[in-house]
Amino acid sequence: MAADSRELSLQPVVSVRRLTRRYADRTIIDGVDLDIRRGEFVALLGRSGSGKSTFLRALAGLDHGVAGDGVLEAPDAVSVVFQDARLLPWKRVFDNVSLGLKGDAAGQRAMQALEEVELTSRATAWPMQLSGGEQQRAALARSLVRQPQLLLLDEPFGALDALTRLRMQSLLLDLCARHRPAVLLVTHDVDEAIHLAQRVLVLDAGRFSVDMTIDLPAERARRELRFAEVRAHLLRSLGVTPKELQHVA
Amino acid sequence: MADFLVQDADARANQTRWLRHLVNPVRFSVAVANDEPSRRKRRLGPGPAIPYGAAIGPLLLLLLWSLGSATGYVDDRILSPPWTVATTGAELIADGRLQENLWTSFVRSFWGLFWGIVAGASLGVIAGLSRVGEYLVDGPIQIKRSIPALALIPLLMLWFGIGEGMKVLTIALITFAPIYIQTHDGLRSTDARFIELAETLDLTNLQFLRHVVLPAALPGFLLGLRFGVTYSWLALVVVEQVNATSGLGYMINLARTYGQTEVIILCLAVYAALGLSSDWLVRFITRKALPWRRILAN
Repeated sequence: MAADSRELSLQPVVSVRRLTRRYADRTIIDGVDLDIRRGEFVALLGRSGSGKSTFLRALAGLDHGVAGDGVLEAPDAVSVVFQDARLLPWKRVFDNVSLGLKGDAAGQRAMQALEEVELTSRATAWPMQLSGGEQQRAALARSLVRQPQLLLLDEPFGALDALTRLRMQSLLLDLCARHRPAVLLVTHDVDEAIHLAQRVLVLDAGRFSVDMTIDLPAERARRELRFAEVRAHLLRSLGVTPKELQHVA
Repeated sequence: MADFLVQDADARANQTRWLRHLVNPVRFSVAVANDEPSRRKRRLGPGPAIPYGAAIGPLLLLLLWSLGSATGYVDDRILSPPWTVATTGAELIADGRLQENLWTSFVRSFWGLFWGIVAGASLGVIAGLSRVGEYLVDGPIQIKRSIPALALIPLLMLWFGIGEGMKVLTIALITFAPIYIQTHDGLRSTDARFIELAETLDLTNLQFLRHVVLPAALPGFLLGLRFGVTYSWLALVVVEQVNATSGLGYMINLARTYGQTEVIILCLAVYAALGLSSDWLVRFITRKALPWRRILAN
């Protein structure tokens, strides 16, 4: 499937050329290039303050007034999932999902999206009645119901407990396989990046210091070995020393 | 990875179990030691609620007052005993004077508050939604707010006479300020995260206003309304004690002239009842208007 999709969609959904973003005299993003194709899942790693959120916000068009230049070609249909679910507390879950939807079948589509994240039974609940995982599922439904060509995820599972995070990651993979948007996941969790993405970037000093394709073998033992290698490599490129790596990670 | 996750989840479960003991000592004692009372003597905090506990303070005050009057410790020229206040109240109701004056006061307060809400909310929206509106409206209102309402009355009397119009206007001028401030503030302090969200959802200006800004400002407006309602009774006292020939404030003034403390006390009790019940009404409206807030309270 990966092969034929590549043939079908050679034209990238997102195309970034020499993108630069500056806060005062600090250059956060320093002339980076990036293409993401339809159905491609890219994870962006980086230390705190490395500018990975700045990059995502640039793609989302949320960086008003931030100085910079470069060429940025993004589709019209872009959805963003934030670390906080960002549901309007005064709207019921269903109304949050259908907020701003156009067309006759808007309600039906919203209900469908809720079904996809298994949240139909909480459609009339207030956001505050939901657990953290349910809130984030509602946020996922809200982003998917818009049929985005580009899905931007800004540490979407960072505030969830480990079990919920695992289930959400699995759900996200299912949804992406079904809807096949171009995905950019910003995260600080190396394991999450390797598990979810086909390609992992590390942002350091405004540039992508690592750009690797994740090619884990299918056979289990070799897969685990390769996983550990990739993980160690990524952690080291994020500034974890060999000693620290041996000690805890 | 999977192993790691399972372990982590285990640790987390332990942690939450431990946390539960911490926040719920009663459950802890039941689960762990049946024959032994809780390890902690009592829970930290103000203690359990008593039904109708809020009435204890006022009732105690009434009791002290009655005792003082009955024993002659309190001179009835200074403070009439409660039973005299009650019988006077019955007499005033019987000959209709209390209702008549109460109604007059209520009508003044109502219209003053009504125009206060209209002015406060609309100016708040003008200043809250547009920069130019804020520059035009906010300055004069802040200046007006720093002038004591009492100081304005002589001028208002010169301009509008001493009729009902001047009284309603004074009440409106006093009540509109908190409503304006809270509405303006509510509109301006829309959570930046929700503004961002609205942008990513490609909401139109109108949708943004309707679904995000106005609901976000509603709690502020309602808080302003609560202040406004309280202020409308305060303003009533101001306008009715300066010049009036009817109303509760007039009754108080008259009673002072004749040294009838029981009438003064009675009017004060009526003021208290009006203030409390209108405050309750606004809180009731708030609960109805913000159903999602109730979830938070529970």
